[in-house]
Parts: sequence; structure tokens; C-alpha cells
Amino acid sequence: MIELVNLRKEYDDVLAVDDLNLSIPPGEIFGLIGPNGAGKTTTIRMACGLLAPTVGRAMVSGIDVSREPERAQQYIGYLADFFAVYEDLKVWEYLDYFAHAYNLPESEIPARISEVIAQVNLEVKRDAMIRGLSRGMKQRLGIARAIIHRPKVMLLDEPASGLDPKARLELRNLLRSLRDQGATIFISSHILTELEGFCTSLGIMERGRLVRSGSIEEVTAAATSTRLVRMSWAGDSLATAEAKLRSDPRISEVNLAAGSGTFRFSGGEEDLATVLAGLIAANIQVTSFGEVKQTVEDLYMKLSTHEVM
Amino acid sequence: MPRFWTNPEFVRHRRAELRPVRAITVGVVIVVMCLLLGLACWSYEQNMLESAQRGLEAYATDAWRNRVQQIQENISRQTWLLFYRWLIGLQGVALTFWALFSCAQSVSGERDRKTWDFQRVTRVTPTEMLIGKLLGEPVLIYFAVLCAAPITLIAGLMGGLSLATVLSVFIFLAVTATFLGLGGMWLSTLLESRTRGVGLIAALALYGFTLGSYGMRESGLPGFAAMSPLMGIADLLGHGSMSRFGHILPVLFGHEVPWLLMNLLLCGSFSAWLALMLIRNLKRDYPEIRPLSRWQAIGCAAFLNFLIYALLNPAGMMDSLSGMNRVGWFPDARSVALFAVGINGLILFLMGLATLTPQERLKVWRRKRATGESRLFADDGLPWPWLAISAIVAYALMIWGLLAWNHTLPLEMSTLQGAAIRLLVVLVFVTRDVLFLQWCMLTRLRQPIVKGAMFLCLYYAAAAVVTGLATVSSQAAAHWMLALLTPVEVFDPDVHGIAFPAATYIGLAVQTGAIGAVLMAITSRLQRPLQSAAAA
Repeated sequence: MIELVNLRKEYDDVLAVDDLNLSIPPGEIFGLIGPNGAGKTTTIRMACGLLAPTVGRAMVSGIDVSREPERAQQYIGYLADFFAVYEDLKVWEYLDYFAHAYNLPESEIPARISEVIAQVNLEVKRDAMIRGLSRGMKQRLGIARAIIHRPKVMLLDEPASGLDPKARLELRNLLRSLRDQGATIFISSHILTELEGFCTSLGIMERGRLVRSGSIEEVTAAATSTRLVRMSWAGDSLATAEAKLRSDPRISEVNLAAGSGTFRFSGGEEDLATVLAGLIAANIQVTSFGEVKQTVEDLYMKLSTHEVM
Repeated sequence: MPRFWTNPEFVRHRRAELRPVRAITVGVVIVVMCLLLGLACWSYEQNMLESAQRGLEAYATDAWRNRVQQIQENISRQTWLLFYRWLIGLQGVALTFWALFSCAQSVSGERDRKTWDFQRVTRVTPTEMLIGKLLGEPVLIYFAVLCAAPITLIAGLMGGLSLATVLSVFIFLAVTATFLGLGGMWLSTLLESRTRGVGLIAALALYGFTLGSYGMRESGLPGFAAMSPLMGIADLLGHGSMSRFGHILPVLFGHEVPWLLMNLLLCGSFSAWLALMLIRNLKRDYPEIRPLSRWQAIGCAAFLNFLIYALLNPAGMMDSLSGMNRVGWFPDARSVALFAVGINGLILFLMGLATLTPQERLKVWRRKRATGESRLFADDGLPWPWLAISAIVAYALMIWGLLAWNHTLPLEMSTLQGAAIRLLVVLVFVTRDVLFLQWCMLTRLRQPIVKGAMFLCLYYAAAAVVTGLATVSSQAAAHWMLALLTPVEVFDPDVHGIAFPAATYIGLAVQTGAIGAVLMAITSRLQRPLQSAAAA
């Protein structure tokens, strides 16, 4: 659905994006993470046709965005980290403007406006002047604008920056519902918790280069071949537990203290189950035992070279 | 302009600017203003009548009697005519001024409000965007003029003007407002939010230039006066074309044409060029903006050259005050050639500015050129080959123009030879300056073109000082300095054929060397390695 081929952008003496190759299939939620200045915004602006690449091409739905921008843009919904709106219009007039600008069929427009207004919970403000809306409402209106033409691809550049927690949650839910409707979502952020439990694939960008990309599982597997396991137990079994764990060649980095601790394990789920069984057989009263799932932040910290952090 | 009333950009402006309450208020204010203006005109004419009647009572002569009778007979028509003139004058100023200034803030204003990107990612085409903004930004003044139009029409007809004249004035105003609106919008695309003040100054300058072109009516190129709204309105009302040189009409290929036609031709053609530049660039990112492609720039330069010969009026004029026949701007072919060379210096420089290549594109061109994938005459290459082509085209047009005017201004071969050398010298200096600006664009200067232009001004000021100092030594030394450092010496009208002083040719060689040096500096800049984003 989104394909970036040898994408490169130079600003004066600066190489902002360096030979980026990326393919995002339909229905995917791809999170592009990286520090400020890594080239995320430049990548998104090239993908939606706002910026011409120095070399390479960005394809959306098989259309070269640089060559046929107007045709490609019917499939793209773009949301930036700022929500500038026309203050001198009413809410429905603003959406009507963009509905016409995206060439929606005239007969569909009123119903579609009502639909998106309902989606972003602005029904009561339908006829209100935009200048009278709160910041949060303007942000919701910005989201309504981006989805008015039912885009197949959403390009979101730090969409949650400046949003309060409730608005972030609403944005998340809205994006999930868009994904359920079949949209492909490309989201960039440097706030890693924003992407937690939300993206199906990830890309890590640094100094204009894509350091790593793939599905969450692939990236996790690439990050480490071992899994971190946390356990806790009742009673005074520290020495027994430590001896038992250290005797297993698949276990490393054993780090136990009174009643709890972690270790690294290289093996599958069933192998891990045998470790637990062994501990119980050694009369250790295990109260909890499980793999510590890695957060996006953990992955990023592991994979990033932190050259600019 | 198909169905502009459904253009989303136009509809947006109409909705925002003309909400019912505001529209009614504007309509009422316009009608009230018209009534007050009408009363003022009626009062003025009544005062004239009363003043004449007092004169008649005081002196009781036939002259006063005739005057009173004449005023009484014409008072109604004169009042309406005066009313019409005021109405159309005010509308002319308001419409042209408003159209220019509202369009001059259209794109830069959107950039400032950060709404521009959202417009650019829609499916609205640049042409739709252009039409929507051109008609939408000044929609309030168009509405105001529309409100006043019926009153203006009635006033004009009651004032004794024909329907054709009244409609012609409206056409004239609409065409001029469109041209100024496009000019304003073009300025607006060139401005980032931080330079909006500069843009407003530039818009004022454009307005002043357009109004000031009125003064061209007594020049050797009288047709350019048709750019001024003053000229058209005054002429249509029977005043503008009268000067101390009698009734002046613009000429096109030696034939007199009406001012309205000339206005349509000039504003129409300049508007077409502006529209082309806007359509090319409206949806581009700011650093990507390049007014014209290289071939289009050559076409534009050729068009401007063509205009010179088409609008030329070599005839002298009879001064009605002194009774003397004034010699026109162009008494012979040599003066036309000299003028054309001078104007081409400006045209080539502007063309060079319009075709400067952004650093990013120039680097790609250089890389491709190294691998043989790109040509010297590429759209992303250096501007100098295109300047050379443009100069050749200008020279070819000069030969054509001078041959076309041969019946009035006899042409000698030495004129063409001299013009060739003059144009070559001008081309070399312009190429050097344009390449210097191109080099500035490759540096880390902020606003490199503005700063580069200032450096060039400094250079020419220094050359003037050096020439001044050389004058202390001898006149010959001063001429040498002038010829070495500037192209001024080639404009000496006493030089015939190619018999220029040796200093001119030495200057030519020195400046060609300077071009080589700038080209080397550009190449060196382009070879510098890139830094990655974060490191930068």
C-alpha cells in the first residue's frame, strides 16, 4: 500500500533521509520511531507529496506521489503535529470545503460530514464558528478533516503531540477503528508509549537511515535471541533457586534477590515450562513466573545506536 | 474559469467573507455612500449655478447670462457625470488596491496560519487553487463593486455616456484588477511568513509602478501606459489621452489602437505569464519554487523583446505649448538598438534570477553529469547556457525588429555589429553576476539571493569609487576602469560598428575569466560531502 523506493532527501549540505526502502502492506499500522531530527517528518512529507524527494520515489496504492500528486492524494489522509484550521468558518463549512477539495461526490457530502462529525464527537458544534472551539475540539476537527474522504492510507506525523490523555485515547480508538475498516496507517513519533500495543510493525530511524524495520515479532527477535523471565517465590529458597537456575545451560544473567528476580532464557515456550516444573520439583514455592514482554521503548533502547540522544 | 462559483476555494472565501449580516451591511453602506456622494455632486453643481447667478446679478452681462443658461441646461447631465466619475474613480482605486493587497497575502497568509500544507495535500489542482484565490481573496470588494454597479451604470447613462463606454470602463477595471491580483499572488508565493513585510512593500511598489506607467504615454513606448488604470479610465471618459502633445494613442506595429485594446493585450499577456508561473509553483514546497522552466524563461524573454518592437513609436511629437517638434526617444535605428541592449541587460538578469537552481537539484545534476546521464542544457543545470541562448534569441529579434522598422528608421550594418558586441558584453557581465548569485545559494547564507544582490550593489558602488579616483589621474584612466569593471562603457552612443576601445575587449576577457573562477567555486561547493541530519 505504501512503498518507499530508494527515497533520499538532501537539504543544502544536509542528508535528511538516506536511501530509504520500505514497503508497508495494506491494513498494517507501521510506527516510525526515532529521535528528533532523525528524518521522520521529512519521510512522511515526501510520502504524502508535500516534499519532492531528491532521489527515489514514494508510491501510495501503486501511484507515484511525485508524478501524480492529485491522483495519489485521494488515497491519503495526512495529519500533522499541528492542527491549523480556518477560524472564520463554521465546523460543517470547514469539512464541506475539504470534502469538495477531495472531489467527493456532491450527493454524498452532507451525509459524510454528519458521519465524521459524529466520529469525532462534535455533533453539538456542527454550526459553531471554529474560532469559538477549544483546542481539543479543533484537534478533533483536524482529525475529521483528515478522514473526510475515507483515505486508504493515513500518514500521521506526531499526531498526539499536545493532546491531553483523554484526547490521546480518543485518537487511538479512532485510528483502531480506521484500521478495522481496512486503512493502512503510517505513524511517526518520538514518544514511544504512544505506539505501545498499537502498531503491528515498526521502523527505527536514526540520522536519516532506517536502522531496523519489520513486524513487532521480527524486530523483537532481531533485538535479542533470549527472553527475560521474572519470577517470585515464597519462603527462603534463594540459594536453591539460584543453584537450580545456574545449572541450566540455557539460562544466563541470573539476577535474584530475596523473594524475586529475573533471568534470561534461550528457548521456546515448552522449554520454559520445563524450567518452571523443575523449580517446583525442587520445592521452591513459586508464586509468579512469566516472560517480561518488551515495550517499544525497550526495543528502541536496545536497537538504537543513540548517536544523537 | 468554468463554474468558479463551485470552486471550493472560492466558496470558502465567500462563506467566510460574505456572511448574510456582513453582506447586508456592506450593501447598505455602499448605497448610503453613493447617496452621500450623489448629494455632494448635486451640491457642487448647485454651488456652481448659484455662483454664476450671483455673477449675473452683480454684472448683468451677456457672458454671465450665457454661462448661467448653459449651466441650467446641462446641470442635470453634469451632476450625473460628476457623480459617475467619482463613483468609478473610487471603485477603480478600491478594486485594484484591494485585489492586489488581498492576493499578496493569500499564500503567505496560509503559510503563516499553517493551513497551506493541508490545502496542498487535497486534490484541488493548481489551476483551481489559482482561480479560487484570485476571485475569492478580494470577494468583499467585488461584492461592494457589484452593489455600486447599478448606481454607477445609471449615473453614467444619465451623464450622457454610452452603454459601451460604461461597460468598457468596467472591463478595463476588471482586467487591471485581475492582473494586479495575479501579481500580488505571485509575490505572495515568494514570501515566507517572516518576510511578509517585504512582500507588502513589493506590492506597494507594484501598485506604484502600474499607476506610474501612466507617464509612459509621452515616451517612445506609449503603449506601456495602458498598464495603468488611470490611463484607461481617463481615456474612456475623454481626458486621459490629451496631453501637451495633443491626442495620444498607443501604437502596435506602427498602427494606432484604442487604449482599452492595448490594456487587454498587455494585462492579458502579462497575466498569462503570471498564471503560468503560479500554476507551475502553487503546490510546490517553498524551496522548490522556480518561476519558469528554462525554455519558458527564454520564451518570456523573447516575448518582452517582441513587445519593445511592437509598441515602439519612433515618431516625434509636436509640443502644443512651445510649438516645437520634440524629437522622440528613438530618432534612429542605433538608439533603438542601444535601448534594446540596455533592456536586455535587465531582462537577462531577471531571467537568470528566475532560473537559479536550488542546491539540492544542482547537486543531483552534477552527479548525473559526471555519469553522463544529464546534459549541459538541463533544467536543473547551471543557468549560463540558457542566458546565452536567450541573448541569441534577443539578438535575432533585434535584427527582425530593426528590419521591420527599416522604412522609418534606416538600418546600417554597423548598427547590428555594434549591437552584437554590446549585447555580448552585457551578457558576460550578467552571466558573471547570475553565477555569483548561484554560488551564494550554495553557501550557508540566510536569504542568499538578497545578500548576493547586496554584494553586487557593493561591487558596482566600489567600481564607481575606483572610477572616480581614476578620474583624478586622467579621463582615459577613468574610461579604462569603467570598461574593465562595468558594462557602462558599451552604451557610449558615439561608438560606431565594432570600433570599441581596447579596454572594452580587455574587460570582456577579464570578466570571462571571472566567470571561470565563479564556475570553479561552484564546482568546489558542489563537491563538498553531505552531513547527516542529526550531525548537522
